Amino acid sequence: MTAVKPDIAVPPFEMTGGRVRLDGREVLRGIDLQVAPGEVLAVMGANGSGKSTLVRALLGLVPLAAGRTLIYGSPPGRFRDWHRIGYVPQRLQVGGGVPATVREVVASGRIARRPRLRLLPSAADRAAVQRALEKVGLAGVADRPAQHLSGGQQQRVLIARALAGEPDTFVMDEPTAGVDAASQAALADTLRDLVRQGRTVVLVMHELGPLEPLISRAVVLEGGRIVHDGAPPQPEGECARPGHRHLHPHAHRDRPTIWDTA
Amino acid sequence: MRIALALAVLIGLTAPAIGTFIVQRRLALLGDGIGHIALTGIGLGLLTGSSPVLGALAISVLGAAAIEVLRARSRTGGDVALALLFYGGLAGGVLLTSRAGGGAGLQSYLFGSITSVTERDLYLVAVLAAGVLAVVVLFGRELFLLCQDEELARASGLPARALSLLIAVTAAVTVVIAMRAIGLLLVSALMVVPVAAAQQLTRGFRDTMLAAMGIGVLSAVSGLLGAFQYDLPPGPSIVLLALAVYLTLVLWRVIGEPALRRRTLPSGPDEATADAEVRG
Repeated sequence: MTAVKPDIAVPPFEMTGGRVRLDGREVLRGIDLQVAPGEVLAVMGANGSGKSTLVRALLGLVPLAAGRTLIYGSPPGRFRDWHRIGYVPQRLQVGGGVPATVREVVASGRIARRPRLRLLPSAADRAAVQRALEKVGLAGVADRPAQHLSGGQQQRVLIARALAGEPDTFVMDEPTAGVDAASQAALADTLRDLVRQGRTVVLVMHELGPLEPLISRAVVLEGGRIVHDGAPPQPEGECARPGHRHLHPHAHRDRPTIWDTA
Repeated sequence: MRIALALAVLIGLTAPAIGTFIVQRRLALLGDGIGHIALTGIGLGLLTGSSPVLGALAISVLGAAAIEVLRARSRTGGDVALALLFYGGLAGGVLLTSRAGGGAGLQSYLFGSITSVTERDLYLVAVLAAGVLAVVVLFGRELFLLCQDEELARASGLPARALSLLIAVTAAVTVVIAMRAIGLLLVSALMVVPVAAAQQLTRGFRDTMLAAMGIGVLSAVSGLLGAFQYDLPPGPSIVLLALAVYLTLVLWRVIGEPALRRRTLPSGPDEATADAEVRG
């Protein structure tokens, strides 16, 4: 991929006073956040702290009850350059009632780049899809139904879909959740490349794990508010042990629920 | 007969095309729901003396839009919203038709009467079919992404609400196209069964849609010819034939194909590497 030309003035995301209310509950209680170009930001926090909601609000997928948010300087409703954004949602599986090949799923990542009237994919489209597949190591299974792959591989398909669009900014929601070690390592490699090219990456994560050296800044949410914004927090004591229960040092201890991994 | 065959081909192509998106969205009963709503439109058409087909078209489109809005906006789940419109549509249709004094008229719309289709009807259906196929060709990629992941579709700048509405309206148009031949109660079948059958053979979305359209035409034309040959009602014959195709393909995939594979040589080097890559 060609290196991104730095857009010096405009931050990819900027939220001021953001409040979000879902089902009557205040999930985000006044968020001020600016993401600088080229930053690798980790959004962390315990379950229910609002981290997924925050990134979805940054993308305009969730309406704000108060405050405002901008994508490259425009409110989401008026933003037009969606090809600059690559989103990998928090999904365990590639969805849908009809099978789709891995290639078809990844190719749908090119939609933001295609002009309205072009009916067939261009050579550039096909090449970008092939590169994305090779980057995540799924070129060999490109013509298999995506639903037949393992969980970690399906996550890689979703990442390839975002890569295929060649965006400047990536937003990934829990990319390592429930994913095998091989896929986590592949993700770390992919991120290293993106960082080298100067792209902006926003990651929602439970814990830093193998991605820790790549993170330039971490924001920790608790109860819908930012309680830490700066260098990635070092895991201490119990938290430094891999595979521990995901309680962040800055979050108060929740009672474990069925959603916490062992 | 020529008109009936032409109609069968048009329906066989169009219904599974939009049906693939509906099955993808897990809204397989949408066609049925719209069909029930269309009954009210027909009742209105019969009552007011205007064309029942246009009445059905108008009400179906509105009903489809209503289902979509209820699904997206209210706390009512998609399936409950469908059920509400099912019953409302059916009740409305029977009521209005009884006022128009046409119990027998409703019958032909419920179960289809392909033999009573005129050339004028056929032209209307041809135009509608061309419209539906145009939607699939022009918007197919966006609709695919929408059906796969609505949030991602919005984060790619797609007008998700408008596209969802487009699917619902296109389904409504297809229902109206198909109701003459198949009848409203079975319309959903021709949207969904060929897709289910195609899935037994195919791996990808585009292949599934093309195979479903092929199976749709095959079932519609053979069903029609068989019905004429053996003096059976055409609508149910077509649907049962589509189901027979589905069953045959399921049996092939579950029993026939593995048995065949066991008799051939073990997998060559290419398949082994691909398998290793999948496991890796």
